[in-house]
Amino acid sequence: METLKNAVDFSDFPRIDLVIAGAVAFLFLIFPLFSASSFAMATMIQFFMFSLYGMGWNTIGGYGGQVDLGKAQYVGIGAYTTAVMLLRWDIPFWVSMPVGMGIAVIWSFIIGYPLFRLKGHYFAIATIATSLVLKDLFTVWSFVGAARGLEISPITYPPPDYMRLIFKEDIYYYYLILGFFFLGLLYMNWFRKSRLGFQLRCIKDNEDMARSLGINVHWAKIKTYAIATAFVSMVGSFHVCYIKVIEPVDIMSLDLSILIALMAMLGGAGSLWGPIIGAGVLIPLRSYLKEWLGAAAGLVGIDLIFYALIIMIVSAFEPRGIWGIVEKVRRRKRR
Amino acid sequence: MNRLLRLASVGIALAAVLGLMLPVKAFSAEEIKIGVIYPLTGGAAAAGRELRAGAELAAEIANGVMADLPMTMAKNGGIKAMGGAKINLIFKDHEGNPTVGADLAKKLILDDKVHGILGCYHSSVTKTVSAVCEQYGVPMINGSSTSPDLTMRGFKWFWRTTPHDKWFTKDLFELLKGLTEGKVKGVKAVPKKDIEVLAAACENTEWGSLVTEMIKLFAGEYEFKLRKTLLYADKATDLSSEVRSLKAAKPDVMLFASYTSDAILMLKTLKAEKAGPKIIWGQDAGFETPEFRNTLGDDIVGILTRTVFLPQVVEVKKVAGQVNRMYKAKTGNDLSGASARSFTGLQTWVHVIEKAGSTVPAEIQKAANAIEIPGDELVVPWAGVKFSTTGDELGQNVLGSGLIGQYQKAKDGKVALEIVYPFDVVTADMVYPFPGW
Repeated sequence: METLKNAVDFSDFPRIDLVIAGAVAFLFLIFPLFSASSFAMATMIQFFMFSLYGMGWNTIGGYGGQVDLGKAQYVGIGAYTTAVMLLRWDIPFWVSMPVGMGIAVIWSFIIGYPLFRLKGHYFAIATIATSLVLKDLFTVWSFVGAARGLEISPITYPPPDYMRLIFKEDIYYYYLILGFFFLGLLYMNWFRKSRLGFQLRCIKDNEDMARSLGINVHWAKIKTYAIATAFVSMVGSFHVCYIKVIEPVDIMSLDLSILIALMAMLGGAGSLWGPIIGAGVLIPLRSYLKEWLGAAAGLVGIDLIFYALIIMIVSAFEPRGIWGIVEKVRRRKRR
Repeated sequence: MNRLLRLASVGIALAAVLGLMLPVKAFSAEEIKIGVIYPLTGGAAAAGRELRAGAELAAEIANGVMADLPMTMAKNGGIKAMGGAKINLIFKDHEGNPTVGADLAKKLILDDKVHGILGCYHSSVTKTVSAVCEQYGVPMINGSSTSPDLTMRGFKWFWRTTPHDKWFTKDLFELLKGLTEGKVKGVKAVPKKDIEVLAAACENTEWGSLVTEMIKLFAGEYEFKLRKTLLYADKATDLSSEVRSLKAAKPDVMLFASYTSDAILMLKTLKAEKAGPKIIWGQDAGFETPEFRNTLGDDIVGILTRTVFLPQVVEVKKVAGQVNRMYKAKTGNDLSGASARSFTGLQTWVHVIEKAGSTVPAEIQKAANAIEIPGDELVVPWAGVKFSTTGDELGQNVLGSGLIGQYQKAKDGKVALEIVYPFDVVTADMVYPFPGW
């Protein structure tokens, strides 16, 4: 009961934040009623997916200060578990998704135990290495389709299928991922006020002091890493049902790992709203710059230049991300 | 008051964001809208430019009247059966990313209301895009993805004009066999033991892994020794360990399936590592782009690549020569395998719509399954375009064929491709062995 109360209690935020958050949540709920554009719908689905990836990253990367650049391996574990279980044994999404989360958590314990002996850049590099090794293993493992990946054929699995999560219209995927998004947000709200959340912030500030206070630093990091992986794996399972084709090169790429970290960092690592703001800025920006400029004759690639420029400007202006800018402005006003 | 202002500004910002997400105004009804999805940025951007130019030229010809061009589509000034309706191409850039490709396909189908789709070059992207088309019942013609699997999925809304890698890889082994039998022009019969050991390195997506499978299959069938196969990332910035691994296998023949940037890097690394097999063969794609030729210059003399179009085809096909001149005037380059195939893909679209006389998907489907374009209308040296409607390979053009070209230095000092296979259409003696770096 206390957990539930903590999850829904946002009273420590200023009222204006809550008003804005409420208005945005309401807009999310009614968005499909007003949007006739499938591109906007696809962009919103991507936004929710990356918000959830970012929330996962934020637990260990934001609150814990451990920069993880290997999240794509857990996206892959979730996606492959769902695809393999469906294609080989016809097991529906609602069973395969928690199984995928379980496998991801086990894998995170296996690699987390040695990895968290490392610190700083060494930890970040090690997460990249484990992710790339897993990707290469999947590229040659014929049980999971090797480099060719797996395909959920629209002929074998005709839509709509609520158990296997196969739909023709994106609106089903929209409300499902929106549901996951709200649940993720509540979980994160609970997490930041939980014992583990406080322990992590203490570890981030000063690891030796945390240890002197009796916190089992290594175990706290491993537990948080497991939570992060569960988030990411869940969205990975959703991803394969949404896209219906997966290849290790695409779903377990370093690009994806970096994008997840980038969004959370650009939005504001270590804050509840940071990953959502990061995804909310970068996903529509990327999609719509590409839509407006991406295929224009003579300007091919200019969207990527704008995209990179915006990221550089924000990072140079405030390294703590967009949420950092908001807090800076507020502090100035208070003075 | 301050709070009210703040709320109002938030409201305006949100409304602006939602406004941006509304669909673009629909085009007029007098157009046939074809969504074209190609890799315009990323590692295969050079090929994307070629593909785009090929499709644009085909649309220009179809929408105009060019009496001296012996093509049906050049006479009608649009789609004759639909009162001269013009072809309008809507280009999208998939970056070589299957997920982006699927999103773009949905956008083209649902927002832009295209009547059909052409694309996507990367087999992995074609796979996701064709799955979206199949789900929505929108016809898709593919002109340049060669993974054999694509037409083996039983899809009813997918047709492919290009031959696939099973045919192309068989051509390679026929050439190797021909070498041992003395059938290759300008080369005496080579003892099989001299070219028996093979090694292959292919990029690690759908296409490259399927090429590897095909090489394994035919190496067994033609009794060659495949000593090493490896897959690598086409975005790799360093291929030295891959090249060292290939070199360690001491192969007589090195086989590659690479996109543009990785093909260039692979060759540069082979040179740096002084790898010197007797034959180097590329499975088209990167090995055929102008960038490959321009960047590597004389280093590629002696390298073989499979293709479906070579500039020498213009000597035997008048129509290819005419189109090639137009293409060269537009881009400064000769037609390549990529541009010739995207041209043919769009040409097939024009014929299909003309036959259907309608943009209703079911009518287009019926027309595509019944279409037969004679070979003399095509720029590529095929017997024609006719899609399979039964058996394991639904929607595959059964009249396509491939060529194997070799980079050779012409008298004017320029490096160009000469045809060395099929044996009945060769244009020059084959350079054997590979002269080295």
